[in-house]
Amino acid sequence: MRQSLLLLRSELRQELRDFELVMTSGFFTLVVLAMFYLSFAALEKKAHLAAIPGLLWLTVAFVGTLTLTRAFDREREADTLRALLAAPVDRLAIYFSKAASTLVVLLLCCALLVPGLASMFPAGQVFWDSPGQTAALVALGCLGYVAIGTLFAAGLAAGAGKNMLLAVILYPVTTPMLMWSLVTTRALLDKNPNLPDYLGQMAAVDVILLGLAALLFEPMLVGAPGRAQARRTARRPPRRNSDAPN
Amino acid sequence: MRRISSVLPDLALVAAAPLVVYSVQRVFLHTPNERTMGTAFKIFFFHVPMGWICMLMAIVCGVAAGVQLRRRSQRAAAVALAAAEIGFLTGLGVLLTGPIWGHATWGTPWTGDARQVTTALLWLVIASYLLLRHFGQHASERLAASLAIFGAVNVPLIYYAVKLWKTTHPTTGVVGSLPPAMWASFWPGLGALLLVSLGLFAVRARQLILEGELDEAFVRLEDPRP
Repeated sequence: MRQSLLLLRSELRQELRDFELVMTSGFFTLVVLAMFYLSFAALEKKAHLAAIPGLLWLTVAFVGTLTLTRAFDREREADTLRALLAAPVDRLAIYFSKAASTLVVLLLCCALLVPGLASMFPAGQVFWDSPGQTAALVALGCLGYVAIGTLFAAGLAAGAGKNMLLAVILYPVTTPMLMWSLVTTRALLDKNPNLPDYLGQMAAVDVILLGLAALLFEPMLVGAPGRAQARRTARRPPRRNSDAPN
Repeated sequence: MRRISSVLPDLALVAAAPLVVYSVQRVFLHTPNERTMGTAFKIFFFHVPMGWICMLMAIVCGVAAGVQLRRRSQRAAAVALAAAEIGFLTGLGVLLTGPIWGHATWGTPWTGDARQVTTALLWLVIASYLLLRHFGQHASERLAASLAIFGAVNVPLIYYAVKLWKTTHPTTGVVGSLPPAMWASFWPGLGALLLVSLGLFAVRARQLILEGELDEAFVRLEDPRP
């Protein structure tokens, strides 16, 4: 936990130096918003109700991919991910710090996106009317996306994989989560009384995705220890007393 | 024991041949038409088994990928790839037969309901796994394995999608509610398709394992250092 916080602080400090991720992702969010407004503003309110969930989560998917790509490009350029993996740091701390920093950027973009959608489309007024539920929905949706996205983006960065593969991998894998978010957003816009149930299901899916991603992070990046190595570790003699700290 | 297991895939394929013929003639000649859907309902006898086999292969692929990650096993990697290939083919079968059935029953090939979308997504995950295995670099094998595990996690989601979301798709208990005549035609068809799929899966897995062993032998020959 402490290592995660330290790494997260380092990530955020690096971001605060030049605001590279926030600026690029935020600008991209605004561009996508403007394009959606030009394309769909003339539609009727009923059509807006059907379109807003798609607009929201498509933008999150695009912005999320951009953020993850850039965040791990930075690591790749300086080869810092390899250095971190070689350092005596818990691998889970690396995963959680990266996921948390990406989530912060994505939520900042959503802070532009959601009010933008609410102002541009009259059907989005519900976002202003229920700020708590909207915030919970956006946070849970982004968390699920980031949980999977961080795992695969880190895998590509560590293995010197091709970046274009991130979209190939990420969209099919994250779509069930995005679909869940889509259904919940629709429930929010329709003022469905079952909305808390939908939010609870999203939270449960988030927990499963985070757990699975945390479980796979180390084996995927560095590989599990081979049988021979595991046997050597098991046979290693115990430390002598003189080595032990006083 | 090793000898028996090596002929099992061939035996499965040989046993499947008469069963395929029997189940096809049974479905088309001896199974009564469904009252509301008519002849179009016959697709059900191929569509549902292919859907089940696709999900089974996604689970096999995910489990094998987990073993591959845990034990660095090349055999498990080969099994995962073979399962993904069969899952890809059966998934394609589901996605082709489903819209034909839907067009005849609902009047539209694609209603965009939860089961359809999640099945298409599972197929996309399998397709992206295959893309990664074929076009990714060596290190992307582990990445592909993680993807396969997420694909396997998608399977229960597909199963419960019909229960969770409003859908026009038949519910998950439809097979259990079939009349006896249809029930008797369903199982031979499922058995035939399962035998074909398992036979092809085993042959392909064996081929991939041999390919890996051949590669290793070639590397040892080139560089005989221990």
